[in-house]
Amino acid sequence: MCHAKPQEERLVTHFSLNRTQMTRTRIISPTRFPSLKSQRCGSGGDASFMEQLLLHCATAIDSNDAALVHQLLWVLNNIASPDGDSSTQRLTSAFVRALLARAVSKIPTLFSTFGNTVFQPPADEIHRFSVVELAGFIDLTPWHRFGFIAANEAILTAVEGYAKVHIVDLSLTHCMQIPTLIDAIATKLNKPLLLKLTVVSSASNFPPFINISYEELGSKLVNFATSRNIEMQFTIIPSTYSDGFSSLLQHLRMYPTSYNEALVVNCHMMLRYIPDETLTPSSPSSLSLRNVFLNQLRSLNPTMVTLIEEDADLTSDNLVTRLSSAFNYFWIPFDTTDTFMSEQRRLYEAEISWKIENVVAKEGVERVERTETKGRWLERMRDNEFGGVRVREEAVSELKAMLGEHAVGWGMKKDDDDESLVLTWKGHSVVFATVWVPI
Amino acid sequence: MPVDLDDSSTVSGDASVSSTGNQNPPPQSAVKKKRNLPGMPDPDSEVIALSPKTLMATNRFVCEICSKGFQRDQNLQLHRRGHNLPWKLRQRSSKEVRKKVYVCPVSGCVHHDPSRALGDLTGIKKHFCRKHGEKKYKCEKCSKSYAVQSDWKAHSKICGSKEYRCDCGTLFSRRDSFITHRAFCDVLAEESAKNHTQSKKLYPETVSESQQKSPAAVDSPPPSPSPPPVSVSVSVESETEPEPANIASSLVLPIQDSSDEPENNTLEVIMEEAPRTIGLNGSDDHSNNNKSVYAALFASSSSSPSLYAASSTPSPSLFPPSSSMEPISLCLSTTGPSLFGATIQDPPPPHFLTPLLPPPPQPAISATALLQKAAQMGSTGSGGSLLRGLGIVSTTSSPMELSSHEAGFGLGLGLPCSSGSGLKELMMGNSSVFDPKQTTLDFLGLGRAVGNNNPGGGGLSSALWGGGGGMDVFGSGELSDKDTGRRSS
Repeated sequence: MCHAKPQEERLVTHFSLNRTQMTRTRIISPTRFPSLKSQRCGSGGDASFMEQLLLHCATAIDSNDAALVHQLLWVLNNIASPDGDSSTQRLTSAFVRALLARAVSKIPTLFSTFGNTVFQPPADEIHRFSVVELAGFIDLTPWHRFGFIAANEAILTAVEGYAKVHIVDLSLTHCMQIPTLIDAIATKLNKPLLLKLTVVSSASNFPPFINISYEELGSKLVNFATSRNIEMQFTIIPSTYSDGFSSLLQHLRMYPTSYNEALVVNCHMMLRYIPDETLTPSSPSSLSLRNVFLNQLRSLNPTMVTLIEEDADLTSDNLVTRLSSAFNYFWIPFDTTDTFMSEQRRLYEAEISWKIENVVAKEGVERVERTETKGRWLERMRDNEFGGVRVREEAVSELKAMLGEHAVGWGMKKDDDDESLVLTWKGHSVVFATVWVPI
Repeated sequence: MPVDLDDSSTVSGDASVSSTGNQNPPPQSAVKKKRNLPGMPDPDSEVIALSPKTLMATNRFVCEICSKGFQRDQNLQLHRRGHNLPWKLRQRSSKEVRKKVYVCPVSGCVHHDPSRALGDLTGIKKHFCRKHGEKKYKCEKCSKSYAVQSDWKAHSKICGSKEYRCDCGTLFSRRDSFITHRAFCDVLAEESAKNHTQSKKLYPETVSESQQKSPAAVDSPPPSPSPPPVSVSVSVESETEPEPANIASSLVLPIQDSSDEPENNTLEVIMEEAPRTIGLNGSDDHSNNNKSVYAALFASSSSSPSLYAASSTPSPSLFPPSSSMEPISLCLSTTGPSLFGATIQDPPPPHFLTPLLPPPPQPAISATALLQKAAQMGSTGSGGSLLRGLGIVSTTSSPMELSSHEAGFGLGLGLPCSSGSGLKELMMGNSSVFDPKQTTLDFLGLGRAVGNNNPGGGGLSSALWGGGGGMDVFGSGELSDKDTGRRSS
């Protein structure tokens, strides 16, 4: 980290002259705030200490305290390097960049203060994956594969007996779940089948980004299905999460499923982008786009709906609460990448940093990452007349086998209360997978 | 008791240190009792910070009577029983045992922080070894080395055991990753392109060639890499000609070998497609809709191949190919003799690829009739004769009737299985009557677990229900909302 001398002096002056100020504002107690020097050589520092600094900084930004923001960001930048050895450092560094982005947008005077010499540049241009690269990337950890396996198992069971299967794949992984589904259908369902796959065009507004169009992606999938002797159709519906996929729902209503057709809606980490109540706090909950979506989905009477999401609450309007939740969730992906090769880790962490920045620095409709907890999602599903279905034991064994082939910290648990399967990292909940049918 | 404070510059509060008070006094242990930060795993648990030496010590639990050391507390307790202690001394302290969580002694480590403590002593030991220990165990087959013996053992079991290689040269240890890669790998596209030079090209890459109704039919002589079909009915062979006419026989599909080129399959579903860009409406031919049955032939080597020919239940699939089209559906589906594949009757939504089904040239034969015929034929070892006997199925004329049975085939037969043994064998498992209520083929309504689940095994389609009840629909239970914010452990 390099910074101009004058700035450093200015900061130091701040501390000594303004001790009283600091004490009065009670932001950082001098006794508990170790000297800057000792932190600089720390190879990681304490995660909770980092968190406290980040939270203080967030508070300072929202109270327009430019000076304090500057101090805190300077300190944070010193102690958390994006290439740091420990995942805590890299995690904190991602948050620092996000806070910087927020600070600059909220407190324009800081824009000139910071400049590029002091701080790391904002998150890199996000990488665009080729589909083959993305296929490999998705399987670096069980993060997505967990949901894929659970959902595919349930889907296979649901569609048995149907001659046509219509899958609506609302997934942020650009249909990466589909090849194994096709393979499973080809292998396990010994009967002819027409597979219709529908996707939405707006699934390309957040990472991971791919470098080909959905048309090309679809053609590859159809090609693959053909090679497995499955007839397949691929449809792209222009529809966006920001209005709760209303065009998609409308399309589905216009072309209702025939009696021998199964409709499966696979929601893999996509529904979190639909605006929830926190975006429109004044309207009644029933009108939130999220509920409207589920309600309309229910009225289509789908054969099955799978819902796989990350188990965290990033919806709070209060920045401090939200940042704390985010910090206490995103440490997980950073921790899981410790064993990765550096290029993969860099890419992976860049994706997470994008999300962190979205959660911390953006507001209103720009803040699209509105992840909710499992509990909240279950409530929504039940409110909209869906009933949870337990995934079969075979799926559970398959999941365990898959987890066994990844790093040791991965585990899973079954929640007896609600038929969900939860992927865990070192005991902490990461992703939950649930399966629903209309009731 | 010596208390060893580990250096922590935590901002969060009150670090109060007290002695352990438990009955196992390993001399070098350091215990810091401290409340976890709120919201973290089990805030009431006691955080235990052990020095590296103690952590790795093999005998942490010491018997107070004879000073014998044990690795596990349970073992110590078992041992203590042998001392015949008087009742009072035998009981452990009745104070409530607080859950203990452990931190890693290495400062700077993620798990050094109490809020990232692990609940399991063995877990923290393993973590300590893995992250900070020396990797003493090396795999013989590959270059990996491990610090924890159990990790090493687990790895050795799977190292080199399964390997999937894509044509592009990439190697995979997991089948999932291999399949996903294959679907998108360019090599697949090229292969398919090559193998379909004569056949109609399906692949949408080239919109321009879509309308060519090249006589493609069946690639009857299996391209060399594929193994010869187990028993391909003669009629199939004769079908080489592009005029697909009537492929009356069900094609028993050759078992594809483990080559990664399923597209080399003799009988391939070739769909004449009219690749359309998004926005165009459906394909013209689409309206005709034949029901083509596209069988799923599975060529995957990793799945138990068997199937088909070996199976005693050949399934006929018939497709009325039309002059412009090719058929195929190899359907070795155990679902009854006639297969009605997808009836593509839906109105053409904007779609990208549509398989076109040309109109069947034959008059409709009702499913019932077909089934009866099949029953008369009896079950044969080869699919050919059965299929030949069945004639061609054309479904367009009576879509409804057929479809009704179509639905049934997924489960078994749409007809009561009153027919002979042949028919029975065609049915899945030993399921009995299929409930002809097709209104909602709600899988939940299926109920019964139908027989065996051997994929590819006797050719009988597996009852995916497997054992048990399959699904339990969970109604509105009480929501156990354990999350107040971030969910932890």
